[in-house]
Order: sequence, then C-alpha cells, then structure tokens
Amino acid sequence: MLAVSLPDGRAAAVAVVCRHCGEPCAGAADALITADGAFCCRGCETVFALLQAHDLDGFYACDVPPGVSQKQATARDRSRFAALDEPSVAARLVVFNDGARARAALHVPGIHCASCVWLLERLWRIDPGVERTEVDLLRRTVLVDYRPGATSLRRIAEHLADLGYEPAVTVEDVAAAAPASKRRLYLQLGVAGFAFGNIMLFSIPRYVNGAPLDAGFQRLFDGLNVLFALPVLFFSASDFFRSAWNALRTRTMALDVPIALGLLALAGRSFFDIALGRGEGFLDSFAGLVFFLLIARLFQQKMFERIAFDRTYRSFLPLTVHVERDGVLTPVPLERLRAGDCIAVRAQEIVPADALVLDAPGTIDYAFTTGEATPVAVAAGDTVRAGGRVAAATMRLRITREVSHSDLARLWQNPVFARPKRRWLSNVNATFGAWFTGAAVLLATAGAIAWWPDSAAAVSVATAVLIVACPCALTMSAPITLGTAAALLGRRGLYLKDPAVALDLSRIDTVAFDKTGTLTSALEQPSLEIHGVGGASWRHVRALAAVSTHPASRAIAGADPMDAADVTDAGDRIRSAGRPVDVVEEPGRGIRGIVDGRTVAIGSSAFIAAATGAIPFGPDHATFVVAGKERGWVRISTAARPGVEDAARALAEAHDLFLVSGDHHVEQTRWERLFGSRMRFRQSPDDKLSFVRAAREEGRRVMMVGDGLNDAGALAAADVGMAVSDGTACMAPACDAVIDGRHLVDLPRFLCYARRARQVVMLCFAVSIAYNAIGLTFALRGALTPLAAAILMPVSSLTIIGLSSGAMRWSARRLLPS
Amino acid sequence: MSVVVLLIVAGGLVAAGFLGAFSWAVLSGQYDDTCTPAVRVLLEEQPEISTHKGTTHVDVDR
Repeated sequence: MLAVSLPDGRAAAVAVVCRHCGEPCAGAADALITADGAFCCRGCETVFALLQAHDLDGFYACDVPPGVSQKQATARDRSRFAALDEPSVAARLVVFNDGARARAALHVPGIHCASCVWLLERLWRIDPGVERTEVDLLRRTVLVDYRPGATSLRRIAEHLADLGYEPAVTVEDVAAAAPASKRRLYLQLGVAGFAFGNIMLFSIPRYVNGAPLDAGFQRLFDGLNVLFALPVLFFSASDFFRSAWNALRTRTMALDVPIALGLLALAGRSFFDIALGRGEGFLDSFAGLVFFLLIARLFQQKMFERIAFDRTYRSFLPLTVHVERDGVLTPVPLERLRAGDCIAVRAQEIVPADALVLDAPGTIDYAFTTGEATPVAVAAGDTVRAGGRVAAATMRLRITREVSHSDLARLWQNPVFARPKRRWLSNVNATFGAWFTGAAVLLATAGAIAWWPDSAAAVSVATAVLIVACPCALTMSAPITLGTAAALLGRRGLYLKDPAVALDLSRIDTVAFDKTGTLTSALEQPSLEIHGVGGASWRHVRALAAVSTHPASRAIAGADPMDAADVTDAGDRIRSAGRPVDVVEEPGRGIRGIVDGRTVAIGSSAFIAAATGAIPFGPDHATFVVAGKERGWVRISTAARPGVEDAARALAEAHDLFLVSGDHHVEQTRWERLFGSRMRFRQSPDDKLSFVRAAREEGRRVMMVGDGLNDAGALAAADVGMAVSDGTACMAPACDAVIDGRHLVDLPRFLCYARRARQVVMLCFAVSIAYNAIGLTFALRGALTPLAAAILMPVSSLTIIGLSSGAMRWSARRLLPS
Repeated sequence: MSVVVLLIVAGGLVAAGFLGAFSWAVLSGQYDDTCTPAVRVLLEEQPEISTHKGTTHVDVDR
C-alpha cells in the first residue's frame, strides 16, 4: 500500500498495481518502481519498455492495465522456438506460402481484450517483415501475413513472446481451417428466413377476411410458396433429417426423430393439399419452424466456437528436443526421438520421455505429473520420468523408452480418454425423444381410427397430430438456456466445453479436490512455520537461502522477517546480514556456507547430519536449518488461494467434499477442518482415477477439480472434470470445464446457477408440452387450420426463446458475481 | 390486377438480391469472426498507421 495525497488534501491509501498487467505489486518478490511507474516483475517492465521504444504505448489507452503478467513467463530462452526453423514443424502452422508471401495461423492463449487486438495488429512496427496481422479474439488465433525473405516464423514467434503473447507451439495442429460448417449454417438460416418471409407474404391474403382472391392468383401464390419451400426442405432442414436418420440407424431415439417426422408431415401434407387443390397447406408454418430451429442451432454452434479443450499428453511436451550427435546438439522433432538418444534438456524444460541421467546431478520437479510440490534430486544413473521439469541447470539424459511408451503416455492411453462422455442432456433427449415419437404416432393412429369412415379427414387429422406433436419448442429450450448460461459463466471465469455440461454440474453431489495448484496456488506466497532459529540466526539463514534457486530456499529468502517465532530485537530486522561465502549447494538436498563468520546450513536431515555432524530433530518433511550452534526447522506450506476455505465450506453444505492429493500428508491438519477424514494423500494419477471410478460406482455424481495433467485421468472419469488454470495463457487439458483460478471462490455460486439452469430447462419443457397439448386438441378435432398453425407455432417458439434466455440472464444478475 | 404480378416479380427480385448479398457475405468470410471486428473499430487509429500499406488494406481472401 502506498499513501498518496489527493488534490483536496486528503490522504488515501491505494494499492500499487503493475502498470503493464494490473496485478498488485505488493507481495510480489521482484516488484520494481521506475520513472515510468510500478511493475510487478522485471518481465512486465521489459515489455513496457519495448512498447515505448516502438511508439506503441497506445496499448495502455484503456482503463485497466491490459498486459499479460510476465511473472510466470518461462525463462527467456529464445532457443525454444528453434523448432520453427524445422520445415516439418513450420508446415503445421503455415496456411499458405508462395515464397514471396506467406500466411501462418498461430494460437496465442494470452489474447484476452481489445488492447491485445490493437497491439497484435500492429506487429509490423516491431517486425518489418510482417505485412499484416489479423486477430480472432474468440478463437484466440492470430493470422500473420509475412514476407518469408524478410522475417521467419521463428522470428515472429519470438517477437510475440517478447510482447508477452507467447504462441502455443505444440505438437498439436492449430485449427486454422475456415469454419466451413458455420458458414453452411448461416446460409441455411438465410435461405430459411428468406423463404419464411416470402411465404408469409403470399399466405396473408388467404387469412384476411374480404373478397376472396380469384382462382388464378391463388394458384400462382400456392405455386410460389411451393417454390420457396423446396430449398428450405432440401437445404435448410437437411441436417435435421440427416441426424434423425443417423439416430434411427443406431437405434437411439434422439429428439431429432419426432422433429424430422413433424417437418416431413408439414411439408408433405402441404404439397398434397396444394396439388389436390384442397387448400393452401402449412408452408408458412414449415418455413418458420425451420427458421426458429436453425436459430437455436446457431446458439449451440456459437458455444462450440471456443477453442477445442481436448489435448493429449503431447501438447505438454516441447516440439523439438536437442539431441547430441557426434558431439553436436541438433534439434530433432519429438516423433523422431528414439530410445538410446542422448539429449540435453535445459532448465525449465520438460523431459519428453523416460530417461537416465548421464552425468551431473540435478533436480526434477514433478509438480506437473504427480502434484508433488518439492523437487526431487537425481544423480547420474537415476531414472527420470517423462513429464518432469528440469529445475536448475541443463541436464544430459539418455532416452530409455520412446515417447509413446513413457509413463506419461501410458496414463493418457487409459480407456477413459478414448470414449466421449455421455452427457445427462443426451439421456434426457433420448428419453423424451422415444416418449414423444411413441405418443405422436399413437395419437395420430388413434385420431385416424376415430375419423375412419371419412378417409380424407382421417389422413388430415393424422398429419395434423404429427405436425403439432413436433417437439420443436422442446429442442430449442435446452440449447438456448444452456448456451446462454455457458456464455454468462464464461464471462465470469468458468468456461464450459459444451453447454450441456451445465446440466451435469447441476446434478453433482460429490466434489473431489486436488491440492497443489487447485486449493493452493503457485502465485501465492508460501507460509512458513519456523522453530528454533530467530534474530540474527534467522537473518543468516535467509542470507544463505537467497543464493539458492530451490523453492524451499526461495520461500525462506522471501519470507517476512517477522515470521520468525522469537524475533525479539526489532533492530535486528533492519540490519542486514553479510554476504555468504564458501557456498556449497547439493541440488535438491541442501546448501551450506559461511555468513558473518558462522557456518550456516539448510537442507534435509541427512544433508544437515553430513554437513555439520549434528543429528537434527524435528517433524518429517521439514527443512532443517543450522546457524552456528542454533538449530531449528522450517515447515513450508504453499498458501491456500484466498477465500477458497470459505468457498469449500459453502460447498460442503450441499455436497460431500473429498481431498485427493498427490502430495505428502504434512499439511493434513490444515485441511482437516474442511475435509475431516475424507482426505487421501500420496495419490498417483492412477489412484486418483480409481478413486473417482469407485465413487461413481457407489452412485455418487462426482466433480473432480484439479489442475490438469497429473489428474487428467480423474478429470476424464468424473461426471464433470474441472481444470483450474492460473493466468489467461492456460494449458487446457482433457476436461469438461476450465475455471480461472481467481474465480474458484465463486464455485458454489456457479453450481447454484447451474441448478437454476436445470430448473429453467424443466420449466421450458413444461411450457412447450402445454403448447403441444393445446395444439393436439385442435388437431384431434380436425380443426387445425393453417392459420391456427401459423399462429401457434411461432408463438410457442418465441415464448421458449424469450423465456429461456431471459430467465438465465435475470438469474445471472441475481446469483452470479458481477 | 395484373400489376400485382409485376409487383410480385419485382419484390421477389429484390428479396433474392438481398439473399444473394447475404450469401456473398457469408461465403467471403464476413461471418467467420463476429466478435473481433466489433472490438477493432473502438480502437484509436493513429495518423501514421493509415499510410502504411499493409494495415488499411483489409482483404479477406481465405
């Protein structure tokens, strides 16, 4: 907090936020203040300076600082884009290249606002080889037109990364294909709307009282109506017939079956009536119905536009690996990596396949695959599993198993990933579809029998029943309600893969949480429990810890001096300790050195025993510290996300909560109040998967909340798998929903909103069945005139559209945070 | 009354013209991204940008 004096003389305290990304600077370990303003980290300051240098500070024109926080930016090692020089890799991104001009499609997960669009569409100012860039905000893609002679794909990717918009260059292809199915839907909608308007125009003279039209005009109008209805039948409505046919072939009863039946009855009956000169038919109802159904389908499709969530294990791995051949390092695409290859993996890079450590010892961080927060020390000859991240220096490894056979890949080959999940909505659709088709056919036959001696009337009653029994309002209510709900949730940080997930969310009764990265966040400062050292000793320990990059050392170095349990002398905190000398660090085990003439050591109990000869005493998994003669221990726990405990308490009122963590159980006491005995620690990804399966077999409806890869199996097996992501540049794994970490606290309200969505769908079902009942009374009495149908059908469709989207918007305002 | 026929033909042609224009817009990709253009127009264009060849020229030849 900083005190500033306002113009009117009052003093106010304002939180200092980063000029680039708008995140609070307080608490950030390497916040800095320059002449230009405050920055939360060095990375943000660098981007700011770069934009200034290129006269691009219009980027900051909006109210909220729009930048992407650079705190988590991976080490600025430009060689990670070297893969883009490899033609086979570049070919996946380049849409078109004639030598003089080329166009590439890049997926940039960091794109999130208008300023991003502004900046990225001015990329040519930074890279003169770029001719034009076009941003798609929704799909988060950038189309780059460039001159291959003047720049290269690699240079462009590097420039984007320098700006903080790192392109996601993964093994997966970027979906750059023009959305052909969407264009088709718009065309179908256009044709249906055109026909609907014109047919109505020609039908109105029939409905208006007055002098009857002469026969010639009637025939002309009827003929024109048939002409307009044909493209609706064969083009606009074709998808409904196709999906009904598919449903019949696979012997499932989707709601599309009665819809197709109703549409066919409408069109067929109208053509016959017109051909036999018995009347004008129902062509206006037919075109209108198709038009409204397509609007509902457009709603559905708009939701699917967002980037595909499904990723395989390969999207977590680097594109190319540096393989040592004849003493030279050459980048080799991942798929050409063979067992026996000797590879060099740099700091912060992920080990692509199971491998042996060749020479220097190092540290591997398995947080990504197991959730274990503490990195593991490995020495020459040890095995490193795929998915581990190399912590400090470059490591040389020998591949023992090919990528597709590694532990990581085996998890992903689990059958849970192979089958798409069955959504509750499709069950509802199948049930209603079967029920509707049965009822419609039964009633149509009954009506025909009742009118039997009069065969013409029997046929017209039967077709009329099929027409009004068409569950069109029913099929509109679910996509529109759930689509609106999914869009409104997306604006508040919960992204659903499919709107139908909202219905599954509403039925959840058990919530299982992963710990690392879910309940805790890498962005929060860890909390320290300190025993036995204080005052000057604690300062010495911190001075030594500042030299190391190990997470435990970073936590100790970054800790507030007041944390020490027995700091007595306030003056101590101000005087700083001297520089540590004679420092020896054993990666992953500990560090020792001499500070102000005292021997100081930090590390595991074995390391302390070896370094100082003293046997340390303290709880398991603590980090032990020695400063001169003083001994103590420090227990580091990653901090919970702010507010997550309250959220869990609110969830516990209506749901059973479980904690399923890959971490060890040292933090058990902290979570006991929330989860009681429902805690499992040291769970491997497979354990988590079988936990979820077992819970589902007990009849529970399980939501798994995790951070991605290490619980990917559990996410896939759960009724709803929700991945927590920090920052906009999220890695979306196989899951049903992605929640922004900052909005995890709103989860109880999101679930409440999902339950409301289910109630609205049910209400719409009731309303549309009521309309169907009214229509049926007309139909069975043989009184369904074209005019009655032309009024009843659009009215019921419009009621459903208005009711579903209106109710969801209204309850979003009441139930969701703004 | 035969003037009605003329009106019907004229009306049909006008409507068909609009349908054709809509189809052209869809097929040329104007409906591919319905979100970004709305954001793009809100951004201030600086004078020297319009002189640059690449940015003012908005072709959608996908």
